[in-house]
Amino acid sequence: MEKWGKGMTGIKTFGNNETAETIIRMQNVNLVYPTGTAALKDCSLEIGKGEFVFIVGSSGSGKSTLIKTLLGELEISSGRIEVAGKDLANMTRKELPYFRRKLGVVFQEFRLLDEMNVFENVALAQRVVGVSSRERRRKNSLAMLEMVGLSKKLRAYPNELSGGEQQRVAIARAMVNRPAILLADEPTGNLDPENSWEIMKLLQDVHELGTTVLVVSHNEDIVNKMQKRVITLHKGQITSDARQGGYLQ
Amino acid sequence: MPDREVIYSEYIMVWLKQGIKSIIQNKIFSLAAIGTITACLFLLGVFYSLLTNFQHMVYNAESTVGIIVFFDENATQAQISSIGQQIKARKEVERVDYVSADEAWNRFKSEILEDQQEMVNVFGNDNPLANSSSYEVYLKDVTKQSEMVSFIESLSGVRKVNSAQEAATGFGSFNMLVGYVSVSIILLLILVSVFLIYSAVDMGINVRKDEIAIMKLIGATDLFVRLPFIVEGITMGIIGAAIPLVITGVLYDNVVRFIVSHFSVLSGWLAFVSTEEVFRVLIPLCLGIGVGIGVIGSTMSVRKHLHV
Repeated sequence: MEKWGKGMTGIKTFGNNETAETIIRMQNVNLVYPTGTAALKDCSLEIGKGEFVFIVGSSGSGKSTLIKTLLGELEISSGRIEVAGKDLANMTRKELPYFRRKLGVVFQEFRLLDEMNVFENVALAQRVVGVSSRERRRKNSLAMLEMVGLSKKLRAYPNELSGGEQQRVAIARAMVNRPAILLADEPTGNLDPENSWEIMKLLQDVHELGTTVLVVSHNEDIVNKMQKRVITLHKGQITSDARQGGYLQ
Repeated sequence: MPDREVIYSEYIMVWLKQGIKSIIQNKIFSLAAIGTITACLFLLGVFYSLLTNFQHMVYNAESTVGIIVFFDENATQAQISSIGQQIKARKEVERVDYVSADEAWNRFKSEILEDQQEMVNVFGNDNPLANSSSYEVYLKDVTKQSEMVSFIESLSGVRKVNSAQEAATGFGSFNMLVGYVSVSIILLLILVSVFLIYSAVDMGINVRKDEIAIMKLIGATDLFVRLPFIVEGITMGIIGAAIPLVITGVLYDNVVRFIVSHFSVLSGWLAFVSTEEVFRVLIPLCLGIGVGIGVIGSTMSVRKHLHV
């Protein structure tokens, strides 16, 4: 643990006496695009296992960049990132898919496969990770679709679903492999308030199952009402990290 | 069986279906790719058939270009036999025929003096070619003729060596030229096919690049993402190879039959290679090239989309 520097113990202690093992740790992370634009500047944070955290900030503040670095989609210029016990800087290209299987990811624009129906979209995630038993894939996918309330729309195609329903399918797909961490990049960005709350409720359910949830959002209302930990980014820098905080004005 | 193997064997059918589906969905590009492979492999088939038959005919012609070895007037039968054995021992020699003086005279009479019986009668029972017994040496490779002539000339008991050096060199050079030109054209056609497969699969991938990105983000390995596209490329390659094989097969059979029946006067020179013999090479060659083009084209086009 010493390699992470002074004071980094690997055990995160929260203000409300809750303790948890650190599952995401960023230390002095910088990310500079080839154009010279600095997207992340000296970012350090620790997120404990089982936490629910909002990442907020204005457009271009580096929220989505931060999610992409956690997914291994973008390589950082300096600093260190450890996610689910994996040091991303030392990870090989071959290790990347196996690392990503520990994460679930939900996007603003849902990113479902239009040619696959609801069930196939969810089962795809099981196929990708190599669940060999067809029956097990079926059972897991159905259980997850039951959880998100879409067990009656298994054969429907994405274009036959509402935005809220599509996001539910995306959450089912992200969760079907029981990842340790769920990364949601503006999951309510394309939804009306009613559907947005439905999705947040669902993410809360996922969190209650023990999953660490990281939600990028700029929905002030949701962030304020959820009363979760809020990390604020501004121009690539972490400007605040508030326990049970709200969206900073 | 490990999980991954089960998954791959189970998904071959899924990938095949997906590949065929993708070919149908991108039918214009797929048809262009299949069409080009078909055209290229058809040309390859035609070139190969022509080349094989040409080489076969050249080989037949080559075998008629022999070296004639005459012996010293006082050469003994033992010496002549020894010369024959030394020539036969050379690996480039196909066969050696001994032509006695009587045989030479009889051949001359029938071939050259056929219409000049009075000339033949002048000689009566004498053999004007009494000292012209010889060996006729036929080579496996006519280009080795000059080398062989020098060797024979160096043997003791040899008076004279006759050879058709120009004909031999001409056959050899022409044969090589046809080979080089054919190989160059075939290689060019293969490159065009690879490019077209690449373009066809690339079009399909551009439509599906979001799918690739999603699969990568949910933990798919490069191989898992790549395989359906490779299957698609192979399927196009196999279809593109099967069509020209059938066309060439039917065409070859009919053309040979037509030539043999309509140009029987040339039957001595036009010795065709059998359909079975041509296709024993052409089938694996075309299928191999078709599959190869499919694998190379699709692998190249998928690679750039895998960095997610």
